[in-house]
Amino acid sequence: MPLLCLGLSHKTAPVEIREQVAFTPRELGAVARELADLPDIAEAVVLSTCNRMEMYLGLETAERATEARAQAEAWLRQRFNIQREFPTETFFQHQGVEGVRHLFSVASGLDSMVLGETEIFGQVKEAYRAAHEQGATSRSLNKLFQEAFRVGKLVRNSTEIQRGATSVGAVAVELAEKLFGNLAGCQVMLLGAGEISRRTAQSLQSRGATSIIVSNRNYERAVELATEMGGRALAFDYWQKEVAQVDILISSTAAPHTIVNPEDLHAALRRRSNGRPLFIIDIAVPRDVDPAVNDLDSVYLFDIDALEKIADEGRQRRQREMQRCEHIIAEHVQASALFRPVEHLRGQLSSLDSVPSQTSRP
Amino acid sequence: MPSDRLYVYLATGCFFGGFLFALQTLRSGPARKSWANLTVMGMGFLLQCVFLAQRGRAVRQCPLTNTFELLVFVAWCLVLLYFLIGATYRWSLLGLFTAPLVFLLQLMALWAPDTPPAVISPVNFWNELHKSVSLLSYGAFALACVAGVMFLIQDRQLKRRKLDKWFFQLPPIHYLHQTIRRLNLFGFVLLTVGIIAAFRMERSNPGHNLTPVYLIWAIYGSMVTYDFTRGMSARKGAIASVLAFLAPLVTLWIFAH
Repeated sequence: MPLLCLGLSHKTAPVEIREQVAFTPRELGAVARELADLPDIAEAVVLSTCNRMEMYLGLETAERATEARAQAEAWLRQRFNIQREFPTETFFQHQGVEGVRHLFSVASGLDSMVLGETEIFGQVKEAYRAAHEQGATSRSLNKLFQEAFRVGKLVRNSTEIQRGATSVGAVAVELAEKLFGNLAGCQVMLLGAGEISRRTAQSLQSRGATSIIVSNRNYERAVELATEMGGRALAFDYWQKEVAQVDILISSTAAPHTIVNPEDLHAALRRRSNGRPLFIIDIAVPRDVDPAVNDLDSVYLFDIDALEKIADEGRQRRQREMQRCEHIIAEHVQASALFRPVEHLRGQLSSLDSVPSQTSRP
Repeated sequence: MPSDRLYVYLATGCFFGGFLFALQTLRSGPARKSWANLTVMGMGFLLQCVFLAQRGRAVRQCPLTNTFELLVFVAWCLVLLYFLIGATYRWSLLGLFTAPLVFLLQLMALWAPDTPPAVISPVNFWNELHKSVSLLSYGAFALACVAGVMFLIQDRQLKRRKLDKWFFQLPPIHYLHQTIRRLNLFGFVLLTVGIIAAFRMERSNPGHNLTPVYLIWAIYGSMVTYDFTRGMSARKGAIASVLAFLAPLVTLWIFAH
């Protein structure tokens, strides 16, 4: 059965347009069913995330692809009460083999805003499950999506596409996990109540860090943030007394000079038990932590530049892995096309003519 | 070829499987769980046990009468610790390296002379206990040394903020520190049992040169006591574990020659 993929994503449309055509997860099954009921469409799966809205359509015949597109577009505009037609560059179309390739790339996280992210895999699965439960899929899309899940797993497991964090917050969390193994029971102290430190602390909390202490010059702000995060506030003058109990210290004050110095930590380190490391994240500019602190045994200091550098390396590493991932996808796109019955292949071959260079093996 | 050597060949084959798995894992990415690898290691361990039991019956003492037996016994100690230390260790790069190390020891054993003892002396319980428990403690100190090296590599990368591919393969630095402490304590307790056995052995059968063993016991004793009473920084603990292992290494070398 010929495949048509229509939609828009962060690559083709800004959020102002994407938000106009977004479905909630609960709607996905029903809208897939509605699409599959259109005259030239036999099967449908609708994927809707914050970065994309895509419709995977199994057509009755390849010759009716233009009509099917028109029907799906009209249905979408009617559904969201959009008067104007979608611009061609915004509303993309992939047909046949290109549609298969696009789905495999999406499921593998290669088309995501953060290259190699894994959340999309679950979202594709959820979209397929919803459509399948509503009877909107049949043999062709069932096989295609099962193959997409297989390729997605293969890409994840046999390449390093998801290796290494790509944002400052994610790098901090990854390093913390690398130092402590398990963040359950880790105590986190925030010096200053900046936005990045708040988000980083929340990420650490989501990975198991249990205790958050917020210390800020403005005590009311510390209480506010501590309440929001389920932690406790501490007067700024007392942070040195508590730091012996802390595993991760995140500093982001607006102080014009360093506020964490080696002499502040000497006594605290002596009181710490079992040689447990102290991970210090300095997000402030100008820096809050004296770089000499990094020379202390069991203390690991990362400032904003160090974190940015690691994040950048992670992004570059993922970019380098792209070629390997695309090679895996190309192999499976070809295999899935070759093993399909001739009448199914015909529709896909017609699109091959238009994009010969993209269907050859790299 | 004595028939019990067959078990050593088979065990070596199993550890070769573990070695291949380690190579494959290093090529493909981070260390991951593999029940197949665990099964292969388990089979190798069982075969080692069968060999040691049969050889023990043949020589009517703990099978440490020649270099071949000594090397197989040390390899057996390492696999025993591999299973004793816990899952975190087994699934980490440190655990992954056990198979190649054990495979190498087994190969060396198969090349080493396997001459039966000229005289089978009557079994001295304290002598047997001293030798076996001391060797097991050396195995623990060896692993503490490997963990120490891994700790120092990771510590250096973190301090310099240069994290390469290996960094993500190594076990968490805090786990490594805990592993070093536990292994040193475990090894020290075993060696203490070995020393007590040596005292008893000397009483019934004097004339052994036990100075190196006493020296090793004193080194690890002071290290463990200092760490558990006054607290040693993780980095100093790792350096001490690496340096201290030179003592058992030299002793083993003297014993083998």
